[in-house]
Amino acid sequence: MNGTHRGLNRTLLGVFGLALIAAGGLAVLAGSSPAFAQGWTRTGTDLWAGIQTQLAAAKIPGQDISWWSVAAAGLLMVIAILLVCWIASQGGGRTKELATGDDRAGTTTVETAVAGQAIKAALADNKQVLSAAVQAWRLKGGNGLRISLQARKGASPKELMAVLGDLVDGLDVLLGEEIPVLIRIKSGTRSRFARTERVA
Amino acid sequence: MSQATIIRRIGRREIHSPRSALSIAAAIALLAAVLWLMLETVLALTGNSPLLIAPAELAHGIAVLGTATLPAALIAGGFGLALLGIFFVGAAILPGNKARHVMANARSAVVVDRDVLASAIARTARTAARLAPEQVTASVGHRDIHVRLHPSSGRAVDQQGVREAVDREFASYQLARALKVTVVVAPHGAVGV
Repeated sequence: MNGTHRGLNRTLLGVFGLALIAAGGLAVLAGSSPAFAQGWTRTGTDLWAGIQTQLAAAKIPGQDISWWSVAAAGLLMVIAILLVCWIASQGGGRTKELATGDDRAGTTTVETAVAGQAIKAALADNKQVLSAAVQAWRLKGGNGLRISLQARKGASPKELMAVLGDLVDGLDVLLGEEIPVLIRIKSGTRSRFARTERVA
Repeated sequence: MSQATIIRRIGRREIHSPRSALSIAAAIALLAAVLWLMLETVLALTGNSPLLIAPAELAHGIAVLGTATLPAALIAGGFGLALLGIFFVGAAILPGNKARHVMANARSAVVVDRDVLASAIARTARTAARLAPEQVTASVGHRDIHVRLHPSSGRAVDQQGVREAVDREFASYQLARALKVTVVVAPHGAVGV
């Protein structure tokens, strides 16, 4: 769980895909219809001639380059920066702080490690849990806590959920507020290789 | 947002793909193209020789592409681009389900891997049928659960009883999505188990 902007990802991927489909469709049309291909070349040549006139009309005084070319390079730079921002927006939003509270005496911060150690200690004796990890991430109006555990093969998800439910209730009492919690019951390499607990 | 809405939203996010990997791949490809174009533009502006092709030549090439290229190559290339485009649009529209299910819970969002559900159900079926672990396989899909029993030769298995046990166990998980349970007993018994 993290703060990835999923709507943004899907929108941009969709726009990119539609642009590719449009380009591909034009190429197929041009390949299958000579009249369309000639129309393409005519329009393209006219457009390019028009652009060249524009380029020549806005020369930088005393030099052989156009303002438009400089503007194009700048525009490409802006697009490159936006793309880097898109890459950087993936993931993120993780935090070490579980909760903060302000009052007149000052600010109290509870770190994720507090919850992490409490939960790991409580699950240490549980035969059905192979490993547990705790992480916090930023949400609108507070932080969320993610508890993920690897279950032993054959462990009942219902029992694990009940155990975790008790732990979360304890955490609520400890923190004095109910923060959003995500419980992930996973299987993994350790579940695959650990033996089944036959006496549950 | 109320607590219940937040919980539901977290659970929903956790069982769908965020499309991060594909976004990063697309962004890197576009970034490479944009940076190359920028470099060529700057090289052309400063009067240096181009790296691959000068922007002016590139623009002219695109303008006459329709007639300057073999029609077969245009069709093949166009199909390739369109297929890639359909793949990206599909990634944008399709739900991108992950192999997980949400368990109903008022306090927390509980998300379980399908593997975990399958192995718990296999254990239930095997206990009810009194079989060895290797004689039972269970698989959990997006909409259904399949349990296959492979009893020892000459020993009948109470299919109805197994089914009831599996149904009871499955009902106790309170999954947000209702799954169809099928229990199948192999017609041929296993020898030597």
